[in-house]
Amino acid sequence: MKPRRQPNLKAAEHRGATRRTQPAAPRRARRGPSLMSLLQGWLDAHNASLRDSVGRLLGQPFGSFFTCLVMGVALCLPMGLALLLDNVERLSGTWQHAARISVFLELSVSDAEGQALRDDIAAMPLVEQAEWISRERALREFQAVSGLAEALRELPDNPLPGSVLVTPASVDKAELEGLRQRLAELPGVELAQLDLQWVERLGAILALADRFLFGVTVLLVLTLLLVIGNTIRLHIENRRKEIEVIKLVGGTDGYVRRPFLYLGALYGLGAGLLAWLVLAFGLAWLDAAVVRLAGLYDSDFSLVGVPVADGVYLVLGAALLGYIGAWLAVARHLRELAPR
Amino acid sequence: MIRFEQVGKRYSNGHVGLHELSFQVEAGEFLFITGHSGAGKSTLLRLLLAMERPTSGRVLLAGQDLSTITTAEIPFLRRQIGVVFQNHQLLFDRSVFDNVALPLRIQGLSRDEIARRVEAALARVSLRDRARDFPNDLSTGQQQRVGIARAIVHEPALLLADEPTGNLDPRLAAEIMNVFEDINALGTTVLVASHDLALIARMRHRMLTLQRGRLIGDGAAA
Repeated sequence: MKPRRQPNLKAAEHRGATRRTQPAAPRRARRGPSLMSLLQGWLDAHNASLRDSVGRLLGQPFGSFFTCLVMGVALCLPMGLALLLDNVERLSGTWQHAARISVFLELSVSDAEGQALRDDIAAMPLVEQAEWISRERALREFQAVSGLAEALRELPDNPLPGSVLVTPASVDKAELEGLRQRLAELPGVELAQLDLQWVERLGAILALADRFLFGVTVLLVLTLLLVIGNTIRLHIENRRKEIEVIKLVGGTDGYVRRPFLYLGALYGLGAGLLAWLVLAFGLAWLDAAVVRLAGLYDSDFSLVGVPVADGVYLVLGAALLGYIGAWLAVARHLRELAPR
Repeated sequence: MIRFEQVGKRYSNGHVGLHELSFQVEAGEFLFITGHSGAGKSTLLRLLLAMERPTSGRVLLAGQDLSTITTAEIPFLRRQIGVVFQNHQLLFDRSVFDNVALPLRIQGLSRDEIARRVEAALARVSLRDRARDFPNDLSTGQQQRVGIARAIVHEPALLLADEPTGNLDPRLAAEIMNVFEDINALGTTVLVASHDLALIARMRHRMLTLQRGRLIGDGAAA
């Protein structure tokens, strides 16, 4: 529909009509198509290209399915890794409780003072939760887990101090250390204890996994582009004659390109849906084993499947990749397809 | 409408397709281009379709120099030309209707308009009742008529035909030529490359004779 400079053969035809050596019958007046007709034609052309592409995919169901499957499996790897990473990050969130700061009070602090201190601590910023553990409760629990119940009963006094178990709102190393220092400076506090090492290690592992995931994603996106490019190249080869005829009767590169772009996007769409399906089933299958393992560690952790929004992004992203792959393949081969 | 000015075409392998060819064709003319194989008939048609560019001289179509036409303009040039090939270049996996509709779909016409024009084009070549058939269901002569219908369906101002009767028996060849005459009678300029001198002689139209890329004759067929 773009206006282009072109020889106006119709005008030349009318100019020449007066110089004709043989009189011709008057030609039926030609009117150009209306804007609505052109718009309808444009929609019809896209509709026809889409239907043609769907028809070609369905015409070779096994070939199309396996192409989508190869692409889908390639998509599963980065997406699966990303989901795994999400789950690990969620798990690290549940481990946040293990990063609790133990605030041990002086032996002289009474239960009432300890309760009041717990309330002060709970109101502090960066504190998600604070739990008061009295001296008696501490002794009971220690007797239960240490196996030294008999020996502890022989002691004249309870040697254990009261304590406040503080669950921080963040696992950031600097913030945790700052909170620990503030808690240690509170009146009646003997010691505020925090083990940061595991938090640092987990953070480093997650950062490495993020980087690894990025690298794998880049490599697999390139693989996808190559797979779709090669598939489209084969389609182009199979339709070489048709493309030559289309170009001979006035088809633009855009017209030639259109069905292949739909084809690429459809392959991507199929691959995205298959990848979503494989990941959803894969995670559901793994989840039972993960729940059993987590149960052995007194955790109610379970795997989260593919969120719908992520699934939709996966399918749309795959369709876009298919479209881009097809575009690159057609652009590369279009010049070789001049009519002969 | 068409003007060749000292047009030369030399291929990269050194073969000379055309040598300083000059002639002019008025709008509405019916012109034969004849000569033996390798005389330059097909090269001449390829230059008009911008499938080749001249190595010297100028090819003017409705005033535009085709040697300077840009790649992006070529499809829009071809939309104003109808082409018929010796091997008709039909798409065998598409119906007669879809083959004929191809130029109209490319031009972005609506379905209704396409249906109307395809029916009219098939009626002109007496194949209106074969629209749903596939090319393999048709005889060679009918396939060639489908090729002609495709070439005229968009009502081009210029119709080029490269050996359109090469594979046909004399009766079918005459039939095809009659179709071209009908199209020409409606005002379309027709250029037919053919080496069938007997057929050309019967038609009594202007004839260009080429030999080894040179123009050796320009006049009415005897």
